[in-house]
Amino acid sequence: MVLAMLTAFLALAVFGGSVVVLSLRSGLNSLEARLGADIILVPSQAQSKVSFQNMFLQGTTGAFYMDSSALDKALEVSGVEKAAPQTFLASLKADCCSIKIQVIGIDPERDFTVQPWIARSLSRGLNDMEVAVGCKVEADVGEIIRIYDQRCKVVARLESTGTGLDTAVYCDMDTMNKLLAAAEEKGVSHKIESGDQVISAVYIKVKDGCSIDEVNSRLNGHIRKVTAVRTRSMITGVSDSLAGVSRTVTALIAAVWVLAFLVLLLAFMLIIRERAREFAVLRLAGASRGMLSRLVLTESSLCGLLGGLIGVELAALALFPFAQLIESALNLPYLMPDPGKILLLAGGTVLLSVLVAALSSVIAAYRLSRIDPGTALREGN
Amino acid sequence: MTKKQLIPAAVLLILSVLIVIGSQSFLRPCVHEDGSFGSCHWAGQALLGLGCALGVMAALALAVRRAGFGIFLSALPVCVLGILTPGTLIDLCHMSTMRCRMVMQPAMIILFAAALLCALTGAVLSARKS
Repeated sequence: MVLAMLTAFLALAVFGGSVVVLSLRSGLNSLEARLGADIILVPSQAQSKVSFQNMFLQGTTGAFYMDSSALDKALEVSGVEKAAPQTFLASLKADCCSIKIQVIGIDPERDFTVQPWIARSLSRGLNDMEVAVGCKVEADVGEIIRIYDQRCKVVARLESTGTGLDTAVYCDMDTMNKLLAAAEEKGVSHKIESGDQVISAVYIKVKDGCSIDEVNSRLNGHIRKVTAVRTRSMITGVSDSLAGVSRTVTALIAAVWVLAFLVLLLAFMLIIRERAREFAVLRLAGASRGMLSRLVLTESSLCGLLGGLIGVELAALALFPFAQLIESALNLPYLMPDPGKILLLAGGTVLLSVLVAALSSVIAAYRLSRIDPGTALREGN
Repeated sequence: MTKKQLIPAAVLLILSVLIVIGSQSFLRPCVHEDGSFGSCHWAGQALLGLGCALGVMAALALAVRRAGFGIFLSALPVCVLGILTPGTLIDLCHMSTMRCRMVMQPAMIILFAAALLCALTGAVLSARKS
């Protein structure tokens, strides 16, 4: 039982650690894919007013505006291949729950970051007062959600990205304009000095062969009151944090491995010593040395199998239902690998537990094969 | 009641204590800043009630020797109700990142599922004896 518990601990650490690291890597890949753009243009105030990065990573709400002419100005800059506007609006407390929801308006004609993601769940475009919701917004397709007292119909639930984008609601620019007007009526002003036509960010794709840094500098010089942010700089911070977490988890797994192997080795040696008389009697009854060694190896492998299964099950019980809690605690993009990968990992972990348990009993089995039945029985007396 | 039957009853009692204390403290639903109650609050209250009922059943199973089978059997629908209450029977907040969905729902489902297994084991053991 103790041996099974030890291997269970080993399996728990290996499986749990691997799933966490894999989920973090998937989350980072997903974040890179979702950002899609090389540069994001935001109002200069956005850098200080709200952590723009947090909107992507943790789904914190934020709203900042600039004149919509920034889009045309961005398209004038040489090296810019595509530019797509987005408008953000933080809802008031939704009637369903106590937190705000980030509403993001996109231009389906121009958008190259969110639209392909929406297209995977919705074969047609978003119509008037229709919204697509991120997978963490618990609203079913066909349900009506109210944003600033405007009834919006949910027409799609988007695939999980493991980022803050999963907590947002997406609509087209016409719907967004209506929501902005409704917000205005509620006293949430989005107007800026230069006019009513506002956007929050412009996503920019740089032409192949052009230097992103140069285009970034040109954008910063060409458009006033706007800051061009390289998406790579946003991802680098996340990537560094991810590398830190990965290193820690890997070191922990290695430490658990070494410890568990040593303890198992010692435990098997002690068990063999305890059961020396039993094995001596078996030898006298005609059991060969090989038979006794096989018996020990089979016992240890069964212990490994049982422990491996228990460990994987315990890790699964902690990891899958509480995935959202882990994501919140880590503050990093966290996307569970697909079920096939998880099953493969679980199978591998159980196999590893069996191998480690069998290996740690090899020395004990060898010692057992050399035991003299007479001496063992005399020592027992 | 044999020792084998005592164990599931004792585990059931521990689980129900965890459910009762948890639903009001470390596994509680969302706390709204303005003091208002969302539907998840009522889900938490329902879980508290179910936990109390389960606790009484477990205590009775421990105290009344002959009633083991019936009590374990009657605990089964309570456990099923406990599994279905957060999210299915009573709606929770509409965002996965909210505490009620992130902590209370998975934890309570696990606790009630464990209680269900315990009650089943107790019922089977009691039936064998009778």
